[in-house]
Amino acid sequence: MPKTITEQNLHLLVDALLREGKRVVGPKRAGTVTLYEPLRRGEELSLDELPRRSAKETFFPVCESILSYEKREGRMTVRDVDLSRLPESVLIAARSCDAAAPGILDAVFSWDYHDEFYLERRRRTVIIGLACTTADDACFCTAVGLSPAATQGSDLFLTPLAGGGYACAVVTEKGEALLTAHAGLFAEAESIEALPPAEPAAAPLDLKRIKAWLDANFEHPFWGSIAERCAGCGACAFLCPACHCFDISDEGSETKGERRKHWDACGFGKFTNHASGHNPRDVQPQRYRNRIMHKFKYYDDKFGLTLCTGCGRCIRACPVGIDIAAVLDEINSKP
Amino acid sequence: MCIPDKNIYKPHLATIDAIVDETHDIRTFRLVFEDEAVRDSFAFRAGQFAEYSAFGAGESTFCIASSPTRKGHIECCFRAVGRVTEALRRLEVGDTVGVRGPYGNSFPIEEFFGRNLVFVAGGIALPPLRTLIWNCLDWREKFGDITIVYGARTEADLVYKRELREWEERGDVRLVKTVDPGGNGPSWDGQVGFVPMVLEQAAPAAENTIALVCGPPVMIKFTLPVLEKLGFGDDAIYTTLENRMKCGLGKCGRCNVGNVYVCKDGPVFTAKQVKAMPQEF
Ligand SMILES: Cc1cc2nc3c(=O)[nH]c(=O)nc-3n(C[C@H](O)[C@H](O)[C@H](O)COP(=O)(O)OP(=O)(O)OC[C@H]3O[C@@H](n4cnc5c(N)ncnc54)[C@H](O)[C@@H]3O)c2cc1C
Ligand code: SF4
Ligand code: SF4
Ligand code: FES
Repeated sequence: MPKTITEQNLHLLVDALLREGKRVVGPKRAGTVTLYEPLRRGEELSLDELPRRSAKETFFPVCESILSYEKREGRMTVRDVDLSRLPESVLIAARSCDAAAPGILDAVFSWDYHDEFYLERRRRTVIIGLACTTADDACFCTAVGLSPAATQGSDLFLTPLAGGGYACAVVTEKGEALLTAHAGLFAEAESIEALPPAEPAAAPLDLKRIKAWLDANFEHPFWGSIAERCAGCGACAFLCPACHCFDISDEGSETKGERRKHWDACGFGKFTNHASGHNPRDVQPQRYRNRIMHKFKYYDDKFGLTLCTGCGRCIRACPVGIDIAAVLDEINSKP
Repeated sequence: MCIPDKNIYKPHLATIDAIVDETHDIRTFRLVFEDEAVRDSFAFRAGQFAEYSAFGAGESTFCIASSPTRKGHIECCFRAVGRVTEALRRLEVGDTVGVRGPYGNSFPIEEFFGRNLVFVAGGIALPPLRTLIWNCLDWREKFGDITIVYGARTEADLVYKRELREWEERGDVRLVKTVDPGGNGPSWDGQVGFVPMVLEQAAPAAENTIALVCGPPVMIKFTLPVLEKLGFGDDAIYTTLENRMKCGLGKCGRCNVGNVYVCKDGPVFTAKQVKAMPQEF
């Protein structure tokens, strides 16, 4: 029988998880916007709108220490970050587009060399997904093979019910364990009446066809025409649940400090700049091309996956109105 | 449980054992790993690179310039051009640097056994070939003729000057050294002219020969047609690409040329592979 949970019990679930010492990250009002942030109590959950930024930070912080160093009496020592002290976490009410992304990023962080900073956070996090019942003009998850009700990447999945509250589906064993541990907060319903999922206007894209075009058209006037106005601000990359480029830098003095890994963006002008001054991608259209190629060709070539979940955040935020869904549409319709 | 060895970004510590100033801004470090176990187990192949750190400044990518046949230490040779390299240059003998690696692919040296070799290098780009040159010289009997064509803007810009002399004098290597017109002093005993031109005059036979080319993009651009003219096929020519890198591990998304990740698929490529890539380097 389907499990259900009331809005109030969802808050109590958050409170109970917090009491267990877990870190609970969920959508929360922050001024005029909603963001995925660590919650202090269940009531802070705010499920009405799609959070402005993705939930990527839960696994891949904007900036994190990867080691510290100290020189004492002429001897340098390097200290590791103790990953065992990372909190057990629950990401609650992650929209389908955000819940699906970590599974896609697993590929790059675990091929050959394992980035335990990312992977250990993944292991320690349970994801509770949430179906969308409204979509805006920028949403196009359906175009890239997901949907507002896609459970990919979720361990438990919530679907809003017509009479209030949520149906809660078990997707993985990790989710089942969490549900069992808090069984008292869930009810069993004979039948449920789910609110209809959102219907993004975007028509499905033929990703294979898009890739085939990208395979053949590295040099094409199209790139200049769509991206010459790109400001290289990086907003698209920083809001994206799937962008994973980063930089590594030291903070501190020669004798004491930390080495940190932090987000970067291939749209930035200096991203590929050589010490000689030579820059392989020295104009913005080349950088934007790399963004599209990375998401819809290179990541597919390497891992058989698309590096975009159709969340639409880059479209909503782009200061010059570059619309990735429209770009893909155009490629999709090219001969 | 703390999982120290699982941190792929954590460098080994190495002490600067010796410093040689090659030119006014290029310096060689000889590095000895502080941890004995690392010293014994650290193995690499000619062509691979590492991430070197000056603590407080960050990390920088250089090839490992010493030969894998020489154990106990590694060497790197770098030009001071920016934040990390300037910080490295401030360090002295006895100071500590970080070393992560070895990373990337390498020259398939076994495939060169029994063949003639022509090394073509320009300026600071001798280090990535020097590792292979010494590797081959230490296994001298496995190869046929060895020719080295090396040039720099001026006499003062030539790196490894003492080794150039050694190669000149050992008798089983043909060294052609050159400086750009105007870069020669009164006692210069080498050629005068740009590397591609000098290579063409030296005219090494292409038959059963592998060419190994490293240098600034413009030198490579003019050298490849010369090699072609001399009869070298695209899969008999090797070079290394030096895109900007950070992780060295195929994660940070910085070093790609199309779907080729220089840090993982390279840095060593044949001219044939390079020509098949989108021209974005
Ligand atoms: C596989 C590989 C092998 C290599 N091998 C060698 C080698 O053996 N030897 C060697 O010397 N090099 C080698 N390189 C190149 C080397 O990695 C770079 O020279 C080095 O990383 C420069 O680091 P840096 O931190 O000192 O420079 P940075 O501080 O990053 O500066 C680089 C350049 O950009 C400029 N710059 C930086 N920030 C700004 C800014 N905000 N505005 C304007 N300009 C700016 C600097 O002035 C400088 O000219 C190799 C590279 C690769 C990929
Ligand atoms: S590329 Fe844009 S639409 Fe796709 S996942 Fe990233 S932010 Fe969302
Ligand atoms: S948000 Fe828009 S302007 Fe900014 S880098 Fe992305 S595409 Fe360019
Ligand atoms: S250097 Fe990070 S991906 Fe190649």
